Amino acid sequence: MAIRTAAACAILIAMHYTVRPLLGWRSSIDFLLIALVLGSVRTRPAIAAVYGLLLGLAADSLTIGAFGAGALAATIVGFSASWLKAAFFADNFALNAIFLCAGKWLFDLVYMLMVRRIHGVEMLVQLVLWTPLAAIVTALAGVIITTLLRPVYQQKAA
Amino acid sequence: MARAATLGGRLDTIVFGACVLTALVMSALPDQVREPVAGALRRTIVAPLVGLHRGAERWRAAWLESERHTLQRDSVGMQVTRVQALEVENDRLRRLLGLGNRLAWGFVPAEALHAEGRAEDVVTTLTLTAGRLAGVAQYSPVVAPEGVVGLVQTVDPRLSIAILYSHPDFRVSAMSADGAAFGIVYPHMDRSGGRPTERYLLELRNVPFRNELPIGTHIFSSGVGGVWPRGVLIGTVVQEVPEPESWSRTYLVRPAVNPAHVTSVMILTLRRAQQGVGSVWMSAPEPAPAAKETPVIGPRPDFARGDSARDTTRRDTTRRDTTRSDTTRRDTTRRDTTRRDTTRRDTLRPDTVPKRP
Repeated sequence: MAIRTAAACAILIAMHYTVRPLLGWRSSIDFLLIALVLGSVRTRPAIAAVYGLLLGLAADSLTIGAFGAGALAATIVGFSASWLKAAFFADNFALNAIFLCAGKWLFDLVYMLMVRRIHGVEMLVQLVLWTPLAAIVTALAGVIITTLLRPVYQQKAA
Repeated sequence: MARAATLGGRLDTIVFGACVLTALVMSALPDQVREPVAGALRRTIVAPLVGLHRGAERWRAAWLESERHTLQRDSVGMQVTRVQALEVENDRLRRLLGLGNRLAWGFVPAEALHAEGRAEDVVTTLTLTAGRLAGVAQYSPVVAPEGVVGLVQTVDPRLSIAILYSHPDFRVSAMSADGAAFGIVYPHMDRSGGRPTERYLLELRNVPFRNELPIGTHIFSSGVGGVWPRGVLIGTVVQEVPEPESWSRTYLVRPAVNPAHVTSVMILTLRRAQQGVGSVWMSAPEPAPAAKETPVIGPRPDFARGDSARDTTRRDTTRRDTTRSDTTRRDTTRRDTTRRDTTRRDTLRPDTVPKRP
């Protein structure tokens, strides 16, 4: 991962712990996931998996009873994003938005299955309503933020 | 090249598998083992993030607290406004009760319902919540604790509609507080511009030229004409209006009552209007909304100085006699300045015409 990309990811991680609490939305923007996808698509799948594991463990350390669930979800999402990026090899707004949207939904799915805090209809509502909403919000915010941070993480052509 | 790619792919898969396995192991660890690991992460790598998170939460809490304070301030402000409105209404109802006590009989209390309209519109009619069944009749005078409000025009069984003194058709025979000057009060129709309170001014016309009224003189109904009883406060002289003719004077009168603020009124029955109201408006509380701005200079009316209704009746009688005896004088000197309501003019004129031999 290049230093510039790492800096952009650090900004996004910081935003997750500063902007997100201020917003306080029901379906809030997941800046960690944006940081995960942004970093993963620019590295090898193996590094992306490690990056996801570390990021997930860091996030899990702040939640009680869910340690490892976020790490597993982030590992899967990071590896998948990197692998899919290598397969598709394209960088445009729509693809980034789809990556973010699908990544958020997959992350929440794995996380909920691992944590097993909600079941049945409640879980269905969460997966069908709230998670897609959060995924869309995250995708929109991600596209905007990655566009704004492009000067940070993209190297200028020599 | 292809071999290197295959090796890289395998390595990726192995690392991914290892990571997944680590995550699964972490989640499967018992709490006693898991918590020290999480605690170590919180104290080292995640510590700055926790600090950021705490700061953000504080900001949010402060923002929510500020919002709550603003809401509380707004609520308190609204309550204060409501309390002020209630105080005004309470004061008005107290004065109305006082008027009811002073009148004692011959009146019907009613609520005044304002027609919806623009704030800048001049109110000329009121719907009253008392009708024929309550004893209201056409041409019943409508009064407030401050004085003249209007005259009932249309009467239904349970409702009635009154024209206010601001209505173009409104007239009332009037006199100065000392009973020396008479005239007829009309609505002041010049409503172009000015402050809202100035739109409700009245005109006291046909005052004999020799009767100069100082600013602040109270104007009361004179009782001539039979519709309005004698002694209901109409308003206060504000200024004299220059007249092209030199035989009479016209004065601008600030009404005692602001129709826009009238919510409760008393409707005098016709019998009470005929028998008079005595000194009711003399003993009424002074602060009339529209008359507050001008100082009261003129003397108090004679009929209102007494304490008992009997004295007042006597004085009214005396005044009436005086008026009657003055009739002859008016016939000869002031026939043009007839100070009566149009309804009674025909009735009175034959009496006042001198008999020719």
